[in-house]
Amino acid sequence: MKLKILPPTLRNKKRYIAFEAISTVPLTREDVISLVWESSLNFHGECKTSKFDLWITKMWNCESSNDKKVIKGIIQCNRKETELVRASISLINKFKGRPVAFHTLGISGTIKAAIKKYIKLEDKHK
Amino acid sequence: MYFDFHVHGDSHLACEARRLGYRGIALIQPSNNFKPEPIKDFIEEDFLILNGVEIYAKNPEDLKKKVQKFRKKVDVIIVNGGNIKINRAACEDPRVDILVNPFKTRRDSGINHVIAKKAAENEVAVEIGLNHIINTRLSLRAKMLSNFRQIIKLKHKFKFPLITTSNAHSIYNLRTPEDIITLLRCLGLTSQEAKNSLSQNPLQIYEKKKIRDNMVVKGARILE
Repeated sequence: MKLKILPPTLRNKKRYIAFEAISTVPLTREDVISLVWESSLNFHGECKTSKFDLWITKMWNCESSNDKKVIKGIIQCNRKETELVRASISLINKFKGRPVAFHTLGISGTIKAAIKKYIKLEDKHK
Repeated sequence: MYFDFHVHGDSHLACEARRLGYRGIALIQPSNNFKPEPIKDFIEEDFLILNGVEIYAKNPEDLKKKVQKFRKKVDVIIVNGGNIKINRAACEDPRVDILVNPFKTRRDSGINHVIAKKAAENEVAVEIGLNHIINTRLSLRAKMLSNFRQIIKLKHKFKFPLITTSNAHSIYNLRTPEDIITLLRCLGLTSQEAKNSLSQNPLQIYEKKKIRDNMVVKGARILE
């Protein structure tokens, strides 16, 4: 049987971090999940990472040329730990031996506001 | 206003730095392969591009000779440390702007209370190079972080200027200033100190460069 949903006062409070990733090879959602988790586990360790409630909410392919591919996305995390999550995301540097750079665009309380303020999608993605 | 005073690269990198929110960079070239004015095709009004040189010296005498040679030619002089004698000679010379890698090939941070006091007196900034954190992993990264923590501890006591740079060779080494501030907060700096290491301290180096030609000794300069 499915668990009954917690009342709002007992749920973990969330924040949404908008990010962009620049890489030479195309990245899938699974790749981004493994990169973010690995970097966080390496930098902060298992104990602190368990507090982060990391989740990749959404991802968009924004720009792609031969040597530069840009994706944008939203990471959900715990409200109290945004700074630590941000630090660990910025430390991602390699994916399968190729260089990757992650930049945080901004932090928001709702997905809608994060998309509107930081991701700024073009019409074709909407 | 954020600055990155240790970048190796071309106009492409300057363009990316501008997009990420920097207001200026210093392009650094090694002292043994120095070419004046490397960049000409990227000129923006609100973006500052300085020329710099990174000095690799064998001993303190060699360092002095090279500093004398480059001081009039470039805006920023960076000394690559490692040897304890070079670290000390760099911090005792007011003509030097930044000391980088004081911990190179050493087991400790390469800075002690004597060097820290001299650095504060002569306003020589000590660098926190983000490439040492970003491009390393696990045990090596932990050692680098502990070196930086030691430098930060001495900074709190002796108040020498601290400067944060990316040491980037490509656009994949650059990070946004806000990300860097959160990273520095993990090392035990307050957010104001972290901000100063990216904005105020580099700006001071630039301001000092402008009046350096007229300066006779510290605290006195010719007005006409």
